[in-house]
Amino acid sequence: MQKMKSLKRLILVLLAFAAAHLANAQTPAPAQKGRILLLGGTAHLGTGDKIEGAAVGFENGIITFVGSEKNVTPAEWDEVIDTHEKHIYPGFIAPNSQLGLMEIEAVRATKDYAEVGTFKPHIRSAIAFNTDSEITPTVRSNGVLMGQITPAGGTISGTSSIMQFDAWNWEDAIVVEGDGIHLNWPLVYHKHRQDGQVNIQKIKTYEQQLQEIQSYFQQAQAYAKLNSETVDVRMEAMKGLWDGTLALYVHADDVQQITEAVALKKQFGIARMVIVGGYDSHLVADMLRDNEVAVMVRRTHTLPRYAEDDVDLPFKLPKLLEDEGVLYCLENSGSMSEMGTRNLPFLAGTAVAYGLTYEQGVKAITYNTARILGIADRLGSIEKGKEATLIVSDGDALDMRTNHISHAWINGRTIDLDNRQEQLYRKYESKYKREGTLEE
Amino acid sequence: MRLTSFLLALFISGILNAQETFPTTDVSDKELVMHAFVHCTLHIDWETTVEDATLLIHRGRIVAAGADVEIPEGTVVEDLQGKHIYPSFIDLNSEYGMPATNRQEWKPQPQYESNEKGAYGWNESLKCDFSAARAFVPQEEAATEYRNKGFGTVLTHREDGIMRGTSCLVGLGTEVHRNMLIMDAAAHSSFRKGSSRQKYPSSLMGAIALLRQTLYDAEWYATAEDRRDANITLETLNRQLELVQFFDAGDKWDVLRADRLGDEFDIQYVFQGNGDEYQRLEDIRQTGGAVVVPVNFPAAYDMTDPYLSRMVSLTELMHWEQAPANIARLLKAEVPIAITSEGTKGDQFIGNLRKAISAGADEAAVLKALTMTPAALIHAEHLIGSLEPGKWASFLVCSAPVFDEGSIIYENWIQGQSFVLKDKSLVDIAGTYNLTVNGLMYTMNVSGKAEKYSAALEQIQGADTLKIDATLARDRDYVNLRFKPDSLSGVMRLNGTVYMESRIWEGKGQLADGTWMDWSAVRQDTGKGKDREGRGTPTGSDTTLQERPIVYPFMAYGRDSMPGQQTVWIRNATLWTCEEEGIIEKGEILIHNGKIAAVGRDINLETLFPRQEIDPVVIDAKGKHVTPGIIDEHSHIAVTRGVNEGTQMSSAEVQIGTALNPEDINIYRQLSGGVTCSQLLHGSANPIGGQSALIKLRWGASDRELLVEDAAPFIKFALGENVKQSNWGDFETVRFPQTRMGVEQVYYELFLRAAEYDREWRTYKESLLKLTRKQRKNAELPVMPRRDLELEALAQILKGERFITCHSYRQDEINMLMHVADSMGFTLNTFTHILEGYKVADKMKEHGAGGSTFSDWWAYKFEVKDAIPHNAALLTHMGITTAINSDDAEMARRLNQEAAKAVKYGGLDEEEALRLVTLNPAKLLHVDDRMGSLSVGKDADLVIWSDHPLSVYARAEQTYVDGRCMYDLEEDERMRAAINQERSRIIQLMLDEPSGSKRQPRARHSRHYHCDSEFDEITD
Repeated sequence: MQKMKSLKRLILVLLAFAAAHLANAQTPAPAQKGRILLLGGTAHLGTGDKIEGAAVGFENGIITFVGSEKNVTPAEWDEVIDTHEKHIYPGFIAPNSQLGLMEIEAVRATKDYAEVGTFKPHIRSAIAFNTDSEITPTVRSNGVLMGQITPAGGTISGTSSIMQFDAWNWEDAIVVEGDGIHLNWPLVYHKHRQDGQVNIQKIKTYEQQLQEIQSYFQQAQAYAKLNSETVDVRMEAMKGLWDGTLALYVHADDVQQITEAVALKKQFGIARMVIVGGYDSHLVADMLRDNEVAVMVRRTHTLPRYAEDDVDLPFKLPKLLEDEGVLYCLENSGSMSEMGTRNLPFLAGTAVAYGLTYEQGVKAITYNTARILGIADRLGSIEKGKEATLIVSDGDALDMRTNHISHAWINGRTIDLDNRQEQLYRKYESKYKREGTLEE
Repeated sequence: MRLTSFLLALFISGILNAQETFPTTDVSDKELVMHAFVHCTLHIDWETTVEDATLLIHRGRIVAAGADVEIPEGTVVEDLQGKHIYPSFIDLNSEYGMPATNRQEWKPQPQYESNEKGAYGWNESLKCDFSAARAFVPQEEAATEYRNKGFGTVLTHREDGIMRGTSCLVGLGTEVHRNMLIMDAAAHSSFRKGSSRQKYPSSLMGAIALLRQTLYDAEWYATAEDRRDANITLETLNRQLELVQFFDAGDKWDVLRADRLGDEFDIQYVFQGNGDEYQRLEDIRQTGGAVVVPVNFPAAYDMTDPYLSRMVSLTELMHWEQAPANIARLLKAEVPIAITSEGTKGDQFIGNLRKAISAGADEAAVLKALTMTPAALIHAEHLIGSLEPGKWASFLVCSAPVFDEGSIIYENWIQGQSFVLKDKSLVDIAGTYNLTVNGLMYTMNVSGKAEKYSAALEQIQGADTLKIDATLARDRDYVNLRFKPDSLSGVMRLNGTVYMESRIWEGKGQLADGTWMDWSAVRQDTGKGKDREGRGTPTGSDTTLQERPIVYPFMAYGRDSMPGQQTVWIRNATLWTCEEEGIIEKGEILIHNGKIAAVGRDINLETLFPRQEIDPVVIDAKGKHVTPGIIDEHSHIAVTRGVNEGTQMSSAEVQIGTALNPEDINIYRQLSGGVTCSQLLHGSANPIGGQSALIKLRWGASDRELLVEDAAPFIKFALGENVKQSNWGDFETVRFPQTRMGVEQVYYELFLRAAEYDREWRTYKESLLKLTRKQRKNAELPVMPRRDLELEALAQILKGERFITCHSYRQDEINMLMHVADSMGFTLNTFTHILEGYKVADKMKEHGAGGSTFSDWWAYKFEVKDAIPHNAALLTHMGITTAINSDDAEMARRLNQEAAKAVKYGGLDEEEALRLVTLNPAKLLHVDDRMGSLSVGKDADLVIWSDHPLSVYARAEQTYVDGRCMYDLEEDERMRAAINQERSRIIQLMLDEPSGSKRQPRARHSRHYHCDSEFDEITD
């Protein structure tokens, strides 16, 4: 009887295990146990520096040792991972991402990133972040371990949050709940068709829209000082802009848009402003630098806007900003951005091919991103005291030719790098092997 | 004098009202009196000018013209001393008098069938039954506008539809019966479907296919004895094919497209161009057709904002500068042209003609293009176009040579009917006069022209000159002048008469206090001495404009000429041969005459070219890598106005190759990414798409020259969500098929029909061979089947003469199509995208299909949720010829990196990975005998990379196509600087233009095509 019971239990456990596997879901990792040491190889610290022959150690999810492998005693560590010939990086960070808010682009039911309305700072992405998305594990496998999950649409699209990519639920996934408000700067010019010609015309409502933004910010600033028992959820959501807990992310490309956004920063004394996209940012780089406005550079793998533009302009935009001393990081919005998030390191690789130094390239998807997102005190670099959110790649992780992530940790937790695509690959590989159509 | 011509006009119009066949309702006018214009400078035709000549007209026609014309007694004689007479102009591109086109309101519900209820053809955009003559109603306002510009006759048609029916040639008078010169003058076609809301065609290539099929149908309709149905469209079309054929083309490429269409049916079209012909002059000349060109030169843009002005392309800037030289260049190339006033308003027309002349166009030739050439093109040279006896008396009376600055057209006579534009008897009163009034002497300056003059007075008072404002009003020969002689006086008012050609003015006036007195003014100087000297060309003449080199393509990064086929010896490079030789370190490669002459190590020139002196460009490529040019199996660049004709379940008749745009900047951008060859595919909107085009990235070549010579014919098929219209919204739910089950039946149905069609033709051809001599003699020929371009293309597939590239995602449908192919006895060449290919790799291998996939795209549709980035590697490992394609203009320039992902996902060998974008696509496209690897004899299409070619850090430093260096990193730097210089130069000119503040920068309208791109691109 007892035996039957335990057998039953065993079967149940096995079934549950099998079910978990068939469902292709990666199980979130448990908290770090013991002290882990990465020994050897090159540590790209994210700060612009690197250590050859490095050793990186962490415990309880916090980095406790960064230095030369010569200065460490492996025996003192519970787990030593041989990273000789390998590369260690901070986990890559994907800003301005809709990952987890969308599963299949063409299926409306799976899209949760754009709420209706014009001014909606109260819309919070964090609570819609689907930790069971099948896309996220494929992104993780390439070294992207966290992101700024950002709502879209409208003039103010909402409040983004920084989420890490290994969690049971959105609460666990939160790194920073509410890191900034996203403002889509209205288009100044639009295409107007008349008499068979397409003309660029200033949008008639542009001034009006500008006025609306102005008055919205005025109201919000006044509301912050208001002593009222009645709560306005929208205005409440804007409060963080005035004490610097929230950044204002302005999605803008044109010179005029960017210039007017910077004027808004000055007018309202907004502590942190970031331009997202910024196609023209290099043309107003000095203004951005002088006003401490950072730029999230749109996907470097983009075509230039105009036929006359330098063929490689999007490739070299990071270098142009670097040279002008503007703080910038790389982002991946655009078509197929969610599934393409796994290509984030290669966006940096391209920026390196077109002018950045290698460590600057790493920085553009780690430390700089963390600084812009306001989490550099915790994340984005390999430094003592920071969270152990790291990856190890067999080769250069910024090059698709050599990117092969063998290990990843989020807060010291060892991440499962498998994903549904790997499973499908193995499934069919084994089918053909079984049938003898593929060599073993 | 003026009264006479006015009476004459009345008199003639009285006569014109009396139609010969109409019942008389009044005493008839015998129209006996002739009209002679004497002592004029008579431009009998564009090249013949007679001084002191006479033009004699009677009953609307010319009786005599020349120096020695005898004027019969009883003729109205008008002295036109100093004036010029020209044949009035002819505009071949007009909608004058046409009814407004009925535009239906846009509805979201698709309209797949024609709304025409009668026995017309199947497509609403074929409006062959339209007759301009029948619909014509004179419109006085429009006629006045034309007459003011100098036109006497227009060819008018309704600009609606792909086939537009006939036009009529009409005089611009007010007598509709007399003015209707030719009722069915010409037939008109275009590539735009106009008011039709029927879905097909939605693309340029669809419009071309529709034109071709319809012309074949018309041929068949005329001869087929066994046809059952009547068809008004084809019936009327057949009658129109006898007429002059006009094609409302548009840009230069459309002219070339229309010409090719014409060549197929032995039609030489007269093209209506848009004024950019100079950008492809030689190609235009070779069409052998005449071009009707507009002079609606673009206005200057407002370039004040240096940032916003980036929206104005270099093409637009260069065109703004060059447009006035178009006519000069066309004339120089001896292209027959007629000039249309389309797109110009009022004085702008003659003003722009003057600009064209300033830019080097010969005046006489311009006149010819406005008179004789259009008359001849429309076969109306016996009626109009010159002032020879017997022709209609349609002519202009001008103050000076018509193209001279300031020349005034006084009268425009149309078929004997006079229209006074400006009173020629009005004396020009401008000049400096000595005005004597009330015992004081003033100097009076009169300036202005026509009815608007103003006057300013000066009075010498000792050492000072007193300036006095005056108001001058002129009414024919009366003048009224008022002024204040000094600040203390009241206003003095003078009235007088102009005498002796304005040499003397005389009259009476009233002082401020009401006292009457006499006054007079005597002219000292006309103030126009300088202007009247010589006639010369208008001011600001710049004949150097037509000497300026044209760049090909006409845009940024264009070149004066195509780079030559150099002999290049690349040494010390790492060669990725993509052949058995594998990677050759420190290798050498020699290209010569566009081919690879040698590959390997230690190339010996003397052994290679024993009897030739070879002086190659030597490139030391130490540390660099050389690979074959990248071949993109799936691309949609360089296609214009629609990549999908998804308006029917099958559009096998359409051809991407008919709608190429060689001026797509993406060609250049992709050269910078090492791409040398691209297969341009129809989109994936329907199960059977259109025929593909294989191009080489010959930046600067014409559309025709882009095409790879003798490429194997391909066609695009598609499966899944796109062809089911799954993601097209709630209205597109009626076209078959809407399910995967339906998709299968599309194929069975069409292949069965194609087989039937092929049998029909075979039987026909066989029976032709079996004809007896007697049967031949008695013309007892078998009935020729109707040519069907759609079934023809599908029959080619069945016969193994055309290959399929099929857009595919899910394993079930891939499997299904292979079953269809097996049952029909052909092999599917390529599954493109093939994202679930890894699930059916064994079946694909058995069938013999290749695969061309994305590296890592997925999750954009439900059907691609099982896509994996290991696909390419697994397919390759399974022994399937596999390629990686772009389907995206951006990704295409990084295809080497996309290939590298097959190393990352699935662990493919690096050489094998590079083959995914070189040799393998060449194999799939059946061009591996000349492309895809570095081997002797193949086309010299190669790339020199700065780094390992699969690395993200590799930059293409040089890309060769056919041995021509089409992209060079260093040249690119120079071109950037040159673009900036050229822009700045023209912007400076534009800023100087007075109209510079009028036009806003124009949007850059370029479409970035994917398979799913589905728009209606050819509605007006």
